[in-house]
Amino acid sequence: MSETTREPDARRLATEARDRVRFEEDALALSDQVYRVARHLVGSREEAEDLVQETYARAFRSWRSFTPGTNLRAWLLRILTNLNIDRGRRLQRQPDQQPLEEGDYFLYNKLEETSDGLPDEERVVQRLSQNDVVSALSEVPHDFRDVVVLVDIGDFTYADAAQILDIPVGTVMSRLHRGRRILKKAMAESAVGSES
Amino acid sequence: MCNCDECEQWMQPYMDRVLTDAERAEAETHLNECAYCRKRYRFEEHVRQFVRQAVVEPMPRELKQKLLELRTPLL
Repeated sequence: MSETTREPDARRLATEARDRVRFEEDALALSDQVYRVARHLVGSREEAEDLVQETYARAFRSWRSFTPGTNLRAWLLRILTNLNIDRGRRLQRQPDQQPLEEGDYFLYNKLEETSDGLPDEERVVQRLSQNDVVSALSEVPHDFRDVVVLVDIGDFTYADAAQILDIPVGTVMSRLHRGRRILKKAMAESAVGSES
Repeated sequence: MCNCDECEQWMQPYMDRVLTDAERAEAETHLNECAYCRKRYRFEEHVRQFVRQAVVEPMPRELKQKLLELRTPLL
């Protein structure tokens, strides 16, 4: 019998307890960032809170499956997006709903059209409230919004977002591109009205 | 005067820093020379920043407490 198999149980348990505590602390230190993303992946604050709680409960149960040294924040978000899908988000989805898209400069052009001079950056802030942006973001269909939220709000790389959502990087890029356009169109409509 | 309709295509990848070095250098040279694109670039950067700041909601304190309670109790 080798030395390792005879390692005293007490010592093994102590090491494991220490690793587990460290894992839990590391995960909790990321909770603000996890919540920030969760808040905009789902429709309401209540849903986001439930989802984050469930995510942490599951993460703490299956902490052994996390590989130390890899991206813990991405690992937590992977759990979170899976739980979100399990919760029946697929049922809510309307796959045929493909909003009309405008170009990348739509928001700029729209502001330019409706302002006296050229739109400077400050005008965006003047015309759009925080609520306008939140509601514009919620208008972006799930598939596109997930990617925009992970990359533009969560600061994940394309590769991390691909792993979290279990989709190819190319799909992340195309959804991000379209999602941003949809978002800017919704923002433009909030800023200048959708009458035209 | 350049035809800047095409610039719209690299603007987002440029901002995401995913262009190759050569493409990036080309984009930067163009941005230095073209006021039309420079203005749009600044605007797009500003919009991104604005969105990021606008959507941040602080995590509710009760939620933080609930997460702490999920920790495995120490023996």
